[in-house]
Amino acid sequence: MIGIAVPLAAKLLFLAPVAAILFAFFVVRPLKPEWTHWPILLSCAIVTASSFYLAARVLGLFGIAGGSFDKDVLHWAAAGKWAVDFGLRVDGPGAAVLAMVSLVGSLIHVYAAAYMKGDPGFSRFFLVFHLFFLAMIGLLTANNYVQLYLFWELVGLASYLLVGYWFHKESARRAALQAFMTNRVGDFGFMLALFFILSTFNVAHFNVIYVKLALTQQQGGIPVLLPAIGALLIWAACAKSAQFPLYFWLPDAMEGPTPTSALMHAATMVTAGVFLLVRSWPLISAVPYLPPVVAGIGAFTAIFSAIIASTKKDLKRILAYSTVSHLGIMMMALGLNQVALAIFHLVVHGFFKAVLFLCAGNVGHAIHKPTANVDEVGGWRKAMPWTYACFLIAALSLAGVYPFGGFFSKDAILDAAWENGGLIRWFSLLISFGSAFYIFRMLFLTFHGSRPEQQGLKAHPHEAGAAFVAPVFVIALGAAGIGFAAPYVQELVLAGWRGLPTSVAAVSGVLNLAGSPLIPKLDWHGQFGLSGLMAALGFGLSYYLTMVDASWDWRWRRNHPRLEAVFESDFGWKPFVALLAGAVGAFARFCGRVLDKRWWDGAVEGSAGAAHGASEALAGYSAGRLNDYLWWMAAGAALLLGGALR
Amino acid sequence: MSELTLLWVLPLGGAVACLVAGRFGRAAARTCALIFGAAYFVVSLAALMPFVATRGVGLDAVGGAPLAFGVSYLLAADGLSLSLILLTAFLNLVCVISSWENDVPAGYWANFLALASALTGVFLARDLFLFYMFWEATLIPMFFIIGLWGSANRRHAAVKFFLFTFAGSVFMLLALIALVVAKHGQTGTWTWDLAGLQGAPVGAAGPWIFLGLLLGFGVKIPVVPLHTWLPDAHTEAPAAGSVMLAGVMLKMGLYGLIRIALPLFPVYAQTWAPVLAGLAAVNAVYGALCAMAQTDLKRLVAYSSIAHLGFCLLGILSGAAQGVAGGSLQMINHGITTGALFLMVGFLYERSHKRGLADFGELANTAPWLSFFFGFAMFASIGLPGLNGFVGEFMCLSGISHSPIPMLDVPFFAVAGVLGVTLAAAYMLPAYQAVFWAPKGPESVSEHVFDLTFRERSILWALCGLMLWIGLAPSGWLDLLEPSVRGLVR
Amino acid sequence: MTSAVWAVTGVLFAAGLAMVVLRRQLLAMLLGVELMLAAVNVALVHHAGLFSDAQAMAAVAIVIAIAAAEAVVGLSLILRVLRAGRGVDAGGLSELRG
Repeated sequence: MIGIAVPLAAKLLFLAPVAAILFAFFVVRPLKPEWTHWPILLSCAIVTASSFYLAARVLGLFGIAGGSFDKDVLHWAAAGKWAVDFGLRVDGPGAAVLAMVSLVGSLIHVYAAAYMKGDPGFSRFFLVFHLFFLAMIGLLTANNYVQLYLFWELVGLASYLLVGYWFHKESARRAALQAFMTNRVGDFGFMLALFFILSTFNVAHFNVIYVKLALTQQQGGIPVLLPAIGALLIWAACAKSAQFPLYFWLPDAMEGPTPTSALMHAATMVTAGVFLLVRSWPLISAVPYLPPVVAGIGAFTAIFSAIIASTKKDLKRILAYSTVSHLGIMMMALGLNQVALAIFHLVVHGFFKAVLFLCAGNVGHAIHKPTANVDEVGGWRKAMPWTYACFLIAALSLAGVYPFGGFFSKDAILDAAWENGGLIRWFSLLISFGSAFYIFRMLFLTFHGSRPEQQGLKAHPHEAGAAFVAPVFVIALGAAGIGFAAPYVQELVLAGWRGLPTSVAAVSGVLNLAGSPLIPKLDWHGQFGLSGLMAALGFGLSYYLTMVDASWDWRWRRNHPRLEAVFESDFGWKPFVALLAGAVGAFARFCGRVLDKRWWDGAVEGSAGAAHGASEALAGYSAGRLNDYLWWMAAGAALLLGGALR
Repeated sequence: MSELTLLWVLPLGGAVACLVAGRFGRAAARTCALIFGAAYFVVSLAALMPFVATRGVGLDAVGGAPLAFGVSYLLAADGLSLSLILLTAFLNLVCVISSWENDVPAGYWANFLALASALTGVFLARDLFLFYMFWEATLIPMFFIIGLWGSANRRHAAVKFFLFTFAGSVFMLLALIALVVAKHGQTGTWTWDLAGLQGAPVGAAGPWIFLGLLLGFGVKIPVVPLHTWLPDAHTEAPAAGSVMLAGVMLKMGLYGLIRIALPLFPVYAQTWAPVLAGLAAVNAVYGALCAMAQTDLKRLVAYSSIAHLGFCLLGILSGAAQGVAGGSLQMINHGITTGALFLMVGFLYERSHKRGLADFGELANTAPWLSFFFGFAMFASIGLPGLNGFVGEFMCLSGISHSPIPMLDVPFFAVAGVLGVTLAAAYMLPAYQAVFWAPKGPESVSEHVFDLTFRERSILWALCGLMLWIGLAPSGWLDLLEPSVRGLVR
Repeated sequence: MTSAVWAVTGVLFAAGLAMVVLRRQLLAMLLGVELMLAAVNVALVHHAGLFSDAQAMAAVAIVIAIAAAEAVVGLSLILRVLRAGRGVDAGGLSELRG
């Protein structure tokens, strides 16, 4: 792999967005801020074309064997024997996610151009939006942990600025702060893991670490710090990918404009954590007890948030908990050593979740609000046929109905969980049931029927226009058909891992991946019909509770206010976190105001006061009377004289 | 006159020239300050250039016969010295330009140039007596800058600053004298030459001498619990004064450690390292916690300095190549970043005469450039990768987590350091949101805060450009510094 | 002889010292200083003769010169104080008090 020149396409992945952002900031913004999106959309097109070209190269479609490469391009920092170089790595997992991110991300850019039109901060929004996109691309093509961390943090920065975009709103400010701080708590783990990685392997490059680890394993052991590194990386991924116990920031991050949510949930942010674990999988899987931990966290989060998603009224919030749930499914797949499946679900989820969010954006747009509540909508199927169609496709995909995309990825994961047996087998059934229930509940409440409690039809909704619908429709087509790309994704992932020397692959858990049937070929009933059955049950229950017994939701809320409060507080987890944060704040105030200011600085200033008092007391002896001084002088002279004579 | 002598005489001459020019009015004095500040900057840049070519290797020295009591005029400069001098010259120029519109007498400009001169002397001197003279000489102009042109409580702060640092210096002087006496006892000649004092037979007095040096340098850094002068002095000083104070003067302590205390006592540097690193870790976490509790923007930035210098100290003590080099780079980084933050707090104060977090609001709408630059510098200070703060912090903590010194490689120090990095966001972001995002409160003075002028923007572009440059491509800067501190690597 | 000279000069010196320390009038204090200088001079002259030492005689000349200079400076200072309306009492000059 060494010696391969970096192809132009890989350079364009960076050059185009950086150039676009600089040009838009320095030239377009001062002159014509409402044109800021043009250079940025051009850059999106270039990036998308480049990433598909790179993916094709990795697949070997252009007659280049082993189109994946890993090359250093910049000596970042060095001192003595310590050195961190930056480079580009385009391999299977990276290219697969990159292709999805660039395509879906670009379409969301197109949607955003329409959605944000006329907003006073249009130009600022687009600059940060594109920075978000750039950061994710950098994250996917990083060839070492430090570089990955750089873009990981940049993703956090961009999300902070976008969530807090409407900063005049108290809730937006709080959500932005919470998102950044929670991610920062996760980064605590990542940064510590970085130091341990550097001190264990003396290098941060993935390919070198894989080899070094494999060599250690061949000698029958693992580095002492490896369990700590693995656990810390999992912690970091839990923050970024919104897993329990750090998931709570994501639903609140809905405060940003809807395109932000779509980009964040589908493409650029939350998938970063899963991707980090994919990159680190040889490290984590080398510690026998870590994969089950990952699987457990994923499964628990998936069910936990599916339940909460079923109780929410805000459309974007339902989708947010659904994202948390699906990220849990990806983590579960990883924990079951199904790396390729995890990546495949990541890609598929990107498509259908983007559609769902953008549809929610269209629905909100119809009532001129950033987000809509189920009270404000209802029966909009006829008024917004295109949005309805797209939403339906994405919902079917999410619920895992053949032949839509989600069927191929999600059912395969649930199937793997069933094969694995144990508790996780039953979890997988519940997840299947839950996700079908909440998404169809949302679909029915928004688009079907109209209930007396709903104000939707009074609002006279209408379709927002081609610029809003067209990008969503294109992504929806992807969500429908992506399932058939499974062989390509499998091939891509394998191609990337093939870059490793065989000796490494043989021992580092990579072989499990390459040797096992990766993504099972599923026909319409799946390998296992039970998960389909559970999804059908979920669908049926949601139909009954929203269409047959149409007011059930409102009645239940009225009759069970205390239970609703429990759901509203995420089973008490949110108040607990708030308590923790409050305790840290109180401790800080104690340190700053009492300990430092009153006690310690008070003591220091007090010592100055004591010195002053002492000098006041002694001042009587030097009261400025000449004769007194002369007395002292004479006495001193006598003393000296006496001493000299003696 | 040699180049090195010129480096410290030029700003001193500038100070005198400002005073003379002051006779022809305030405009003449400030023009004079600008000319000398620019010339000083150019000369310091020119002095550094040869070291860029050699990637930091080499030594530029002026020697002299002993004058009396073994004191001699010895100056020397390596990559570290010259980088710090360039930082001094750069920030001095920034200060002059940023106070350009302030209607201040000639003495103001003269004090800044005199301060630059004394600081340059500190970074150049290789004779310990000379070092001490320059060290104390820095106090005088800073005392006047705080005491004459500071805000409401300036006199108290100026006296507190002077007494604190002077008390520390006395211990340092005693330690230096003891060292020289010990060397005299061995060789029979008096010398204050730093190189000549290596391996002085200090015997049982050794720990006390080392402690004396640590006290002198520790007050300047400042190491918790010797830090309480810092928030007062920074808060009360005028904007430009805080820039010099945080940007350069705090680095004197670390420079003293790097140049004098640690090389002269390599054994104590190792055996005492766990204690010192513990204090540094306390600095990083405690400084951050205290900063979280502040309601005054300037005090908050001041406490953040305490936290940041904790990282530097951890790196320098680590004895690992990346830690030592990172620690010295972080000295420069902190000067640029915190300098920029203090400058902007100063702009706010000049416009509104308020500094409280609750006194503003919605500035992102009315002063977009200010909020852009403040955000930029703030994220550099938080340690966002890609900007300068991250490079230094990352290398320091990487050094301490992989330290060759016994007891230092336990994860405790790295954990504390990373905790400090995490907390940085917890004090900076709420402050930023309160000032720039939140709605105006009843007491808000936001309407007085007009956006940055072209002059102010130009300075900040320069500072932020440097942050980005060091953040993205630190290797050139590290090359410049690393050979000078290689001696501290175990 | 020597002891007699010592006795005289001692008495003179003690008288001068007493005047300086006990009197509060500035002029009297100045006189006391002059007296002390004169006492020392007497002792010096005597011993110069005793050891035929030229250096001692030189010292005497210097002391006389200093005494004259001191009288000039002291008297003019007292005059300034008087002109400033602060009286001739040392008690009035205590601004140095901390």
